[in-house]
Amino acid sequence: MEIEIVRKKQHLDVRYFIVSQGFVIAMVLCFIVFSIIARNFMTLKNMVRILHTEAPLLILVPGLAMVIMAGKIDISVGSIAFLSSGIGVLLLTHYNIPSYVVFPLIVVIGFILGALNGLLVVVLKITPFIATMGTMFMLRGVALQLTNSMVLSIPKELQRLGYASVGTIYIDVIIAAIVLLLAYFIHVRTPFGRHIMAIGNEANVAEQLGVKVPKITFLAFVLSGLFASLGGIFVLFQVGAVTPTMGQGYEFNAIALCIIGGISLFGGEGSILPGLLLGGITLGVIENGLNMVGASPYAYPFVKGGVIFIAMYADSIKRVLRKTKIAIPEEPFTTTVGLDHKKSSVRSNK
Amino acid sequence: MTETFLRTIGIRKSFPGVQALNNVSIEAFPGEVLSIVGINGAGKTTFMNVLGGIVQADKGEIYIEGKLVEINNPLDAEKYGIAFVHQEMSLFPYMSIIDNMCISSFPNRIGFIDYKLAKERCESTLKRLGCNFNPRTKIQDLSPGDQQIVEIARALLGEHRRLIIFDEPTSSLSIREKTRLFEVITSLKKEGISIIFITHLLHEIFEVGDRLIAFRNGEVVGGGMIKNITYKDVISLMIGEKETDSFFGHRALKVVGDPALEVESLSRRGVLDNINFTLHKGEVLGIWGLLGSGRTELARALVGLDPIDKGRIKINQNGTIKAIRHRDAKKWIGIITENRRQDGLLLPMSVKTNISLAGLRKLISRVWPLIDTKLETELSKKLVNRLDIKITSLEQQVATLSGGNQQKVILARWLMSNPPIYIMDEPTRGLSVEAKSEVDRIIGELADSGAAILVISSDIDELMNVSGRYLVMRRGRVVAEFQAEASKSDLMAAAAGGSHEEVC
Repeated sequence: MEIEIVRKKQHLDVRYFIVSQGFVIAMVLCFIVFSIIARNFMTLKNMVRILHTEAPLLILVPGLAMVIMAGKIDISVGSIAFLSSGIGVLLLTHYNIPSYVVFPLIVVIGFILGALNGLLVVVLKITPFIATMGTMFMLRGVALQLTNSMVLSIPKELQRLGYASVGTIYIDVIIAAIVLLLAYFIHVRTPFGRHIMAIGNEANVAEQLGVKVPKITFLAFVLSGLFASLGGIFVLFQVGAVTPTMGQGYEFNAIALCIIGGISLFGGEGSILPGLLLGGITLGVIENGLNMVGASPYAYPFVKGGVIFIAMYADSIKRVLRKTKIAIPEEPFTTTVGLDHKKSSVRSNK
Repeated sequence: MTETFLRTIGIRKSFPGVQALNNVSIEAFPGEVLSIVGINGAGKTTFMNVLGGIVQADKGEIYIEGKLVEINNPLDAEKYGIAFVHQEMSLFPYMSIIDNMCISSFPNRIGFIDYKLAKERCESTLKRLGCNFNPRTKIQDLSPGDQQIVEIARALLGEHRRLIIFDEPTSSLSIREKTRLFEVITSLKKEGISIIFITHLLHEIFEVGDRLIAFRNGEVVGGGMIKNITYKDVISLMIGEKETDSFFGHRALKVVGDPALEVESLSRRGVLDNINFTLHKGEVLGIWGLLGSGRTELARALVGLDPIDKGRIKINQNGTIKAIRHRDAKKWIGIITENRRQDGLLLPMSVKTNISLAGLRKLISRVWPLIDTKLETELSKKLVNRLDIKITSLEQQVATLSGGNQQKVILARWLMSNPPIYIMDEPTRGLSVEAKSEVDRIIGELADSGAAILVISSDIDELMNVSGRYLVMRRGRVVAEFQAEASKSDLMAAAAGGSHEEVC
């Protein structure tokens, strides 16, 4: 027996389109406005610069994004970046350990610190926000102690790496692209990535279906730490030194980037590509554009906050619209035997 | 006789306070549909969860093809070829059909998911169910019926399926989809797969079932080949031999007062269909229906927790019955649910705080706009005494109380604000026998004092004990109304629906 499937007509819902694609629209508008006001905005050089500024953050964020998509949060990424880079630079300058050992080691430290977060959340069952807030403070404390709260420069030849470029494109932009692509494939094309989404959607159901929820959650935190330290390395290259404020506020910039890129803080929704890239570009465009039009430097945090509000608001409208869109079965009240109210009450009076 | 595929011996499982399964021994044969029936809380779902590896039995043995096995997690179950179609939707709404179907068994190539293969597998399985959705569609864009199909398709996906458990698979399917499902079940049967089919809709058992087992209070109470069983047998197996017809209706004799609540053609698409009834002052109206019949949804819609699409709610206000705005319903209606912990109580707070919560406005001192704590203590104490709540002090944390006392705290809270109408959804779920009868006594007292009460309960004995009149719901409709002298089987038959001819 062939059964015909009645398809709902998918007509273009303008409101839904605007809300769901709102961010792209807003970004395009920003581009247009900035390029009209500031003559130097819409130049290739400036575009490259925007990407260059955002590159370390884009390298740092994919791990965190996976944690968020699993419905958890990690606010220790800035401190992880600081501590791992701090140790790295100390080894480099004070102990003369060669850089080809130090940089992999920094990533290993990030891995270990991520595992620490994972342990706190999965084994000790501490709420992710609290657990990572704890490590955020602690790791920063350790790093300040180790570096004596001083600025530690890296050797000149390494500093150059931060501004090295292939043609017009900076190396860190290329690295960011590779990292994002890698994370994208992990996210959409591996069972691990899908399990992350499953946990974010409905952890209980995932458990029932045999997803190893604790293991996957742990791994997500490990990845978050790992990517954080990797991002830290590129901050190091750009700044040329470890400073006592390194990575401060990075966690929230990274979360903002995720939100703007359409990753739901409730978990289970969002994408690495194009999500994170869009988020990164949006942040960069606003910062750079405000700079170009000569706005007060304090305008940027204000506008960033506004953008986050708009992103969250669009997200909540999207949810509401979608709820009303969900179809209800065509024949909701069918019973196979036509027993209606009258009949049965007659019977019951017998 | 063919060899058994699955045999369980003496499965026991207890949850705090409840013996959910007691000595359950069953057999399932290849190529046979085993129907399991039982009223809510009979232990069917717990038993299936044991087979599916979602919960572990305290005691007992499971044999698969004669070999003793241990099923400790869902992956073990999967390994032995047991698949499970869950009762409640267990899908990931933001993910695609492919992801949902393959989540525990992605085909992979060097660590990466082979999406092409996954898509093919999903498509062919969906086709078997007569569907041709695009497997990349997200679950949230499907109707509930279609979602159910995906859920079933997931269970069919594996190639080495030997036993498929359907836990109420038809609750959100349309007739067409249901017919298709039954065809699939028949064809699976021919392939030699064992099937366990749980349903509340009894006529379905006669449509697809081969053999039947009835559960009651966590025990297997009987069964047999379906061709030798009548509809009436099934009902008496489910509700037990003791037809306590003598017990009913102490409330029926009471004179009921004016209408307190009138509901006119209340509808919510997909959930409630044209509900009409009147609730009188001093009356306890019992709502009987099986899981998914819409009883809880009715309660939620009445108090405004869920939106309604159509219909009016009228409430007696000082003698005149007037339609009210739906969102104002909470002003007149007090709701008590089974989820004391979830939506009723502030567990870490004191008994007193919890009691006074709903009536804070009454406690505001006349002198200044602050809460009069003396009055608060006084009133709370009075209510504690009236309901006989066992506490050491008013400051005791609610979390430390027993379930029965917690429920009484909620009752006390409502008494404080004293609404004219109460809706009680499973007010005694999970309580001990003594606590149950206490709560039932309070319900009676409330009604005597003139409150109008709507009671929903899965425990038919209890429902019949407190109610003076019954409405029976099925699939979102009120299908029958009975007076107090109705018998258990009347209620059961109306709720389960179907072949009435065989009942009478």
